[in-house]
Amino acid sequence: MKEIVVISGKGGTGKTSVMGSFSYLGKSDLVIADCDVDAADLHMLLGPDYQRSEDYYSGELAILDQDKCINCGACLSVCQFDGIQSENGTFRIEAMNCEGCGYCQRVCPTNAIQMETQKVGEWYTSSSKVGSTMVHAKLGVGAENSGRLVAQVKNEARRHAKKEGKEIILIDGSPGIGCAVNSALSGADYVVFVTEPSVSGIHDLKRVTELVKGFSIRSGCIINKCDLNSQMLDELITFMADAGIEHIASIPYDETFTAAMLEGKTLVEYDKGPASQVLIKSWEKIKQFAETEGCLK
Amino acid sequence: MKYAFTAKGESWDSEIDPRLGRTEFILIYDDKKNELSAYSNSEITQQAHGAGPLTVQKIIDLNPDILITGNGPGKNAAEVMSTSEIKIITGAGDMKIKEALEAYKSDKITG
Repeated sequence: MKEIVVISGKGGTGKTSVMGSFSYLGKSDLVIADCDVDAADLHMLLGPDYQRSEDYYSGELAILDQDKCINCGACLSVCQFDGIQSENGTFRIEAMNCEGCGYCQRVCPTNAIQMETQKVGEWYTSSSKVGSTMVHAKLGVGAENSGRLVAQVKNEARRHAKKEGKEIILIDGSPGIGCAVNSALSGADYVVFVTEPSVSGIHDLKRVTELVKGFSIRSGCIINKCDLNSQMLDELITFMADAGIEHIASIPYDETFTAAMLEGKTLVEYDKGPASQVLIKSWEKIKQFAETEGCLK
Repeated sequence: MKYAFTAKGESWDSEIDPRLGRTEFILIYDDKKNELSAYSNSEITQQAHGAGPLTVQKIIDLNPDILITGNGPGKNAAEVMSTSEIKIITGAGDMKIKEALEAYKSDKITG
């Protein structure tokens, strides 16, 4: 079984369009895991049916028992997040501000404050419109993605792949280099970067490449909007060659990306134009790369 | 020689867990005593953040000479790892524990 992770470093490079197209092309040969949970959007292209849902609990919230509170204000004086509000000499917790650090609970002389684990979202196992199983999640307002949630989504995807005899798990990872990205990369076999030839595109690709190298995972790159800036493109290609990143394909700026999205379709099902053709070839290449044994050091 | 493995189960027939930070179990094999012992890592896998460094700390406390795993540590976990002398062997992600040990001994997987 192979885990292929699609990440971008920088947001807005077209990762979801690429990911959606690969999901469509791989169809029933794979299980899809949307681990970009902060801004989950793959469901808009892949139409999951939310067959099974489970609550997701993470982080804590301070709960104040007014019967035990002696209105001493100790909690207010230590809170760094404006999580305690005082009104006419009484105190209450401002849930949106509470970071769940537990400092107020520690200093409360009457044990009036308890920390409670919060339901921050749900995660789902679905059948997607392309026919494959899709594991995905949805977080509430202000809730943050975490390595644990990503690991949970990936583990569930792996369990389904095993049960259904699927060889590939296709994972949509978040931008950046944080905990959630680490968790998406951990245990993966191949990484597909989707980037663009811009200053921030290259900068963020460099950052995330360091991470991928640390995990000893082989990688390849799709350069989207490759005609954006020729100087940046040269710099990008040189960097990729030096870093040992396979150049999978380049896609010139193409408005069908947006047009397909507006219709809620993946690019390859929307039309068979030049960008779709590149993605079809790319997917074939990626499947081959992923099957090749051995890690790039 | 003492070997540590990231594992999905507690026996020689268990699969290697390709994840280091959120591995389900840590197995320790001491070839002098010919003894395989299993340590659950469930407490750490339940942490929202920072599982890598915590697991590495746990492995260091178990004091193996070699760690056999799938991908290797992320950046923060690698930093903690570098404080120890433990040799990390990666690339065992698809193997069972006994296969991974054999693969290491016959140089099929390396650091």
